[in-house]
Amino acid sequence: METAPAHAIIPGLFSGYETGAFYDEMFSAPGQPRRPYAKVFQRLASLAPEQFEERRKLADLSFLIQGITFTVYSDGRGTERLFPFDLIPRILPNSEWLRIDRGLTQRVRALNLFLQDIYGEQCILRDRKLSRSLVYSCPHFYREMVGIQVPRGIFTHICGIDLVRDSKSGEFYVLEDNVRTPSGISYVLENRLVMTRIFPDAFHASEVLPLDHYPAELCRILRSLSPRGGDDAQIVLLSPGIYNSAYFEHSFLARQMGIELVEGRDLIVDGGIVYMKTIRGLKRVDVIYRRIDDEFLDPLAFRPDSLLGVPGLMGAYRSGNVALANAVGNGVADDKAIYAYVPEFIRYYLGEEPILRTVETYVCAKPADLAFVLEHLSELVVKTVGESGGYGMLIGPTADRHTLEQFRNRITQNPRNYIAQPVIPLSRVPSYDVPSRRLAGRHVDLRPYCLYDGEKVTIVPGGLTRVALKRGSLVVNSSQGGGSKDTWVLRGEG
Amino acid sequence: MLSRIADSLFWLARYIERAEDTARILDVNYHMLLERSQDSYHLRWEPLLVMSGEENLFRRLYSEATAENVFEFLAFRPNNPSSIVQCIGKARENARTIRDYISREMWEDINGLYHMVMRFNPRDEIVAGPHRFCDKIKFGTHRFHGVTDATLPHDEGWQFLRIGWSLERAEMTSRLVDVQYQKLLDELPTVGTPDNHQWMAVLRSVGAFEAYHRQYHSSIEPEKVAGMLILHSQHPRSIRFSTTEVQSGLRAISGSVPGSYANEAERLAGKVVERLSYDKIEEIFKHGLHTYLNELSAMFSLIGSDIARTYFYYAVVA
Repeated sequence: METAPAHAIIPGLFSGYETGAFYDEMFSAPGQPRRPYAKVFQRLASLAPEQFEERRKLADLSFLIQGITFTVYSDGRGTERLFPFDLIPRILPNSEWLRIDRGLTQRVRALNLFLQDIYGEQCILRDRKLSRSLVYSCPHFYREMVGIQVPRGIFTHICGIDLVRDSKSGEFYVLEDNVRTPSGISYVLENRLVMTRIFPDAFHASEVLPLDHYPAELCRILRSLSPRGGDDAQIVLLSPGIYNSAYFEHSFLARQMGIELVEGRDLIVDGGIVYMKTIRGLKRVDVIYRRIDDEFLDPLAFRPDSLLGVPGLMGAYRSGNVALANAVGNGVADDKAIYAYVPEFIRYYLGEEPILRTVETYVCAKPADLAFVLEHLSELVVKTVGESGGYGMLIGPTADRHTLEQFRNRITQNPRNYIAQPVIPLSRVPSYDVPSRRLAGRHVDLRPYCLYDGEKVTIVPGGLTRVALKRGSLVVNSSQGGGSKDTWVLRGEG
Repeated sequence: MLSRIADSLFWLARYIERAEDTARILDVNYHMLLERSQDSYHLRWEPLLVMSGEENLFRRLYSEATAENVFEFLAFRPNNPSSIVQCIGKARENARTIRDYISREMWEDINGLYHMVMRFNPRDEIVAGPHRFCDKIKFGTHRFHGVTDATLPHDEGWQFLRIGWSLERAEMTSRLVDVQYQKLLDELPTVGTPDNHQWMAVLRSVGAFEAYHRQYHSSIEPEKVAGMLILHSQHPRSIRFSTTEVQSGLRAISGSVPGSYANEAERLAGKVVERLSYDKIEEIFKHGLHTYLNELSAMFSLIGSDIARTYFYYAVVA
């Protein structure tokens, strides 16, 4: 044995704990907690597994009673599931967070400028920094949006940018920009609430930065978009309804902001103005925080079979009578092939060097990249450009031969639809393994939520840490067996 | 307030009330029947089925109206739209669509009630008898009323809840009196003193047994019981009280003053309240109790559809 196993040193929950061949965010070496985790580690090490189990059940019950669930549709009828919550916090020291904050701010501004440009003058295409065909072939590029003046020039009001920490360098990389309708912030806020109830002591000792100002900040931004101006803007959150997997979040945010939660059937467009149907007749709507995808927003403009949307909504939007957040057509900016060019956007639009790294990306639309990808398929992660949520993905090293061949065929047939990236060995954080009632290292990512008001970017400290609770799994999506953790950004370095 | 939210509040309250009323009637009747002879035992379950309005469905699903079958049907049966479990499920579904509107406490309460109900194993409960189950339901719905009263602003949304549960209660009490009275007339005792147990059960099922004794200091007389359940001005489950609640709720929303009305629902509610305020029980019996209650029921369903037409599903003229 080269290193002493952790269980030789720490009893209880940590017995048998191995840091493994990955960057372990809690331990710099077996039994040696990193500085930000020192207090939490002490607290956990002093806790008997039975005591911990008791608190875990308490937390689960609390989520169940609050109905903090998401819906899965595997069996034909939707079933409600708890989004598993892991009680071990993920902790970032202040200095590390500040760097992330600066990097994300830069990125959000660049993405917004890109969208303004691509739906406006298209300078970046004229300057040949980005190929026309790549943009026009993007499934989420909407010609209908070209030339539209969006309120205050903001496209990306809310971004949920996914970060991962690479085990080799220990550095954070941007993995995906979610600039359409990113979800998950409600779990961030609810996780925190449950944590403060279940571990008040550890929480207090560590000096964690608060994050409950998110709804107020979002609401301020939404209000500022009102075409009629003034403080009495009628703001609504447009949801697909209770059968949507994120419905809990929609109702949560509406309640926190004190705005009306509406469904498509509550709205009507008349003379280019959007109204909602109230018990006292029609009432004008100024701002719509929509949680419905672009293609379902308006059956007259996009999918005619959509029952979720509002006929005529795009017309009202185009006339400037109603504001939408996020803007329509943002999908072109988080297309996985466009992702490879974001560092270039930062240089082009801001004249700055990117602060956060991006993962090396092979764009299969480029012949040279395509050849490389096909040759190294079993070493790479392949992603479908328009998909999200962990769907349409190939993890080369763990895939069987049949799956590899399937992807090889699909990529050859439609290269534009795929990108490939090297496998990133994600960092791990100790997480509770229910069967063994002990802690074990599990892979995590991080999704901070960025709010943009046209001038400054506000990011609540931390964000959603998603954790792959299955042993060895790299996929953190809730639809694929992932859970979440409370993310702590410390006031200091710990 | 969005029409859809008002609609959901109205139905949320109705389903909660329906669950509670069914639990009350089931519990009381079951225990009363335990004290009776075997031959009348089966007969006595019929009224419960009639009251639930799902008698035909029951006949299709079961061959015999035994205590166990009736209990299972009214409490648990998933394909009985009026079973207690279904009502709680639908109440929760309505609450879920308006989570942004109702208080967090209300949601957690009704969600907790739902999960509690789902944890009951019908097999075990049928063996144990309905008391344990029905008691939990009653406790749960009472708590819902308490939480609602204490945490939701008493604004127009609250008024829709109030109208919902009051209208449902008025209908249920009306059906309860009607069905029990019919049954009683059919089975008038041939020997001995009139059998009052059934009427005691009726009083107990609306929680008015003690109130009755306080008021009348006398033995149970069917006419007085019916009078109390229909005409009492203060008992929270009397038809008159419940209808007055509906009227007050409607007025609070529209701002109408006494003597005027803003819509058809208000006009009809006003007519019913007036009738219940000035009729005497002797007159009702002369008129024919069954006819009288039928007329009320018809009015209640008209009031329900007029509320929907006025506030939930009005035509939009574009």
